[in-house]
Amino acid sequence: MEIAANFIPLNALDVTYLLVVGFIGGLVSGFIGSGGAFVLTPAMMSMGVPGIVAVASNICHKFPKALVGAIKRARYGQVDVKLGIVLGISAEAGVIYGAHIQEDIKRTFGDSGSNLYVSVAFVVVLGIIGGYVLWDAWRVYRSGRAEADEEKVSRLARWVQSIHVPGTMMYFKSLDARISVLFTIPLGFATGMLAATIAVGGFIGVPAMHYVLGAPALMASATELVTAFVMGLGGTMKFSWSGLVDIRLAMIILAGSLFGIQLGAIGTTYVKPHTIKMVMGVIMVLVLLSRAIAIPVYLSELNLIGALDPHLSGALKNISFVVLIGALTAGAAIVFSALWRGISLHRREATPAGAPSAAFAPSTVTAPISPQLSPLGRFERFLVATDGSEYSAGAVREAINMAQKCGARVHVISVVASGAELESIGQPLLKKELDTAQAHLETVKAQAEASGIACETRLIHGSNIHQEVVNEAERMQADLVIMGRRGRHGLARLMVGDATVKTIGHAPCGVLVIPRAAALSGRHFVLASDGSRYADAAAVAAVNLAKYCHTPVTAVSVIMPSHSEERRKEAHSIVKRLVAFLRKEGVTAEGEVPLGQPDDMIVQTAQKKQADLIVMGSHGRTGLERILLGSTVERVLNRTNCAVLVVKTG
Amino acid sequence: MTDSTTTGAGKPLTRAAVYGLVSVALYFVLYLFEDSILAFTSRGGWYFIAPVTIAFVFSYVHGTFTGHFWDILGIKAKK
Repeated sequence: MEIAANFIPLNALDVTYLLVVGFIGGLVSGFIGSGGAFVLTPAMMSMGVPGIVAVASNICHKFPKALVGAIKRARYGQVDVKLGIVLGISAEAGVIYGAHIQEDIKRTFGDSGSNLYVSVAFVVVLGIIGGYVLWDAWRVYRSGRAEADEEKVSRLARWVQSIHVPGTMMYFKSLDARISVLFTIPLGFATGMLAATIAVGGFIGVPAMHYVLGAPALMASATELVTAFVMGLGGTMKFSWSGLVDIRLAMIILAGSLFGIQLGAIGTTYVKPHTIKMVMGVIMVLVLLSRAIAIPVYLSELNLIGALDPHLSGALKNISFVVLIGALTAGAAIVFSALWRGISLHRREATPAGAPSAAFAPSTVTAPISPQLSPLGRFERFLVATDGSEYSAGAVREAINMAQKCGARVHVISVVASGAELESIGQPLLKKELDTAQAHLETVKAQAEASGIACETRLIHGSNIHQEVVNEAERMQADLVIMGRRGRHGLARLMVGDATVKTIGHAPCGVLVIPRAAALSGRHFVLASDGSRYADAAAVAAVNLAKYCHTPVTAVSVIMPSHSEERRKEAHSIVKRLVAFLRKEGVTAEGEVPLGQPDDMIVQTAQKKQADLIVMGSHGRTGLERILLGSTVERVLNRTNCAVLVVKTG
Repeated sequence: MTDSTTTGAGKPLTRAAVYGLVSVALYFVLYLFEDSILAFTSRGGWYFIAPVTIAFVFSYVHGTFTGHFWDILGIKAKK
């Protein structure tokens, strides 16, 4: 049987090309809910497939791809099926109307008019929405806000959720609110119209669900897959009714894209919501650029501007197509990189707490050093403060490892903020946050008990996080508070979360701050001392820990260029005294007296020695002392990537 | 999670192999009967059911295979 005139013969190169483009498109779609398909129609057309068949075959691969992606992400609890279907139905109407407008324009102004319309739609819609999405992602990234803050419902969405129109209200689980379908209908319609115009309705659908309706970004991108499925199924029926679908093209693209969409969906579980926005924003802005480059060509073809040289016209079209491919590749590169970093970090964090590294797990761990009368350097009761975020993961993991080692009891708390924040996030979200925190505490407890650690948990609902931690430490007479630290990737200077710094300032005991990827493997400790009694307390703690781990210790006392000769001599004698003390206790020790800024030198020494712990003394809890704390300890915390034990004299 | 990865590794591998083979078979049939299938699915009218059904079948079989494929490579969701 002969192949119909609409369908081209395919060779091995065509098939490979479609598989690769399909894979990348699927990857992006699985991650942001849509956005992978826009390049497929021009890609097929570049192979000689007639435009209408390219559109039909694209849409026929899109709906099963969206289905597989939606099922995958539903397993992660990210999909709101009801919202997806409700939007999908009105989107279907939008697709029909959008296609009708397209046909009218094509009939009246020809292909150039149709292309100009599509390009202008790209530039206007993507310029406004893409710019906003990218700006929002950048703002969140720069501010280093917590996930809960990041996912706060926008003011517009709060207004939309507050409007009550009798007879039109529907409850959606992703919003945890009832909203009027009078809002979902125009949003779905606009999504469908955009899908009919530029093949990617999600560029309106996802931002609309997030910013206008109030769905979390992850859920919005996952729910869009349901909408895309509904739209795609309708579109496929329409085009197949006219016999325009090339099933070979659709299934070949599907072969690649199903690999991609699974990977993209997995990727969403490793990233922060702003990464989704970032990928979407970058793609939208690059696609906009691609279309903007082509606009002069269409204007010239419609005689709205002077005629362009055929070479220039051809070059602009080619550049436009290359930028389009570049948009997809850039999106895929961000997804890959986020996935890679996320998986690597997760694997480091997920090192089983029950199997601590050999260096930190000597064979004799049964008996703690107690009964120890002095509270200095005693490690019998740990208070672990966690917020369930990745920033606390290191603290939880190392707390369990340390407790196993020291035979300590562990008390884990999670503080959920209330007060003004409660007002801003609303009761349903607060309840969700409390439930999440409780579930996290139960997970930690199970993890600790599996490691043979006595563990209690407590969920605290309070307005002042650091005060709740300090109160709990006092109540249980903790020997050590263990906390995580919020920071930013790739920046040399890391900003310390307020709660951690304030806890250090006010805690009645030592505070161990553990960045998320830090591991207390007992490789090397750095003991920083200024010769004060606080530093001596730190030395006692360092000795006890070093004895547990058989870890060498470098004692450091920094001198500054402005210091007098007498002060320099004193620094040397401090270090000698500490080294003698450490060696007397059986710890391998050496001393250094570096010249420079104290925080710089302490961090540099830790890096040089590949230390995994810096031990420092701290003054205490009054206002003046907090200012002092801000000077060296806080700067060390800001700069180092290893754990820091801040020892208090009580 | 770690335990299930280790102990349950055999099952996903078998499932991946089965779905992978069926998937390859489906694509092979599509390649072998390319012209007939294309002619049948592009008749239009009520024959629209053909491409839709083919898309569903391929997405189920190949989708299940690709899911297991990443799984056995150790690329799994965080939660």
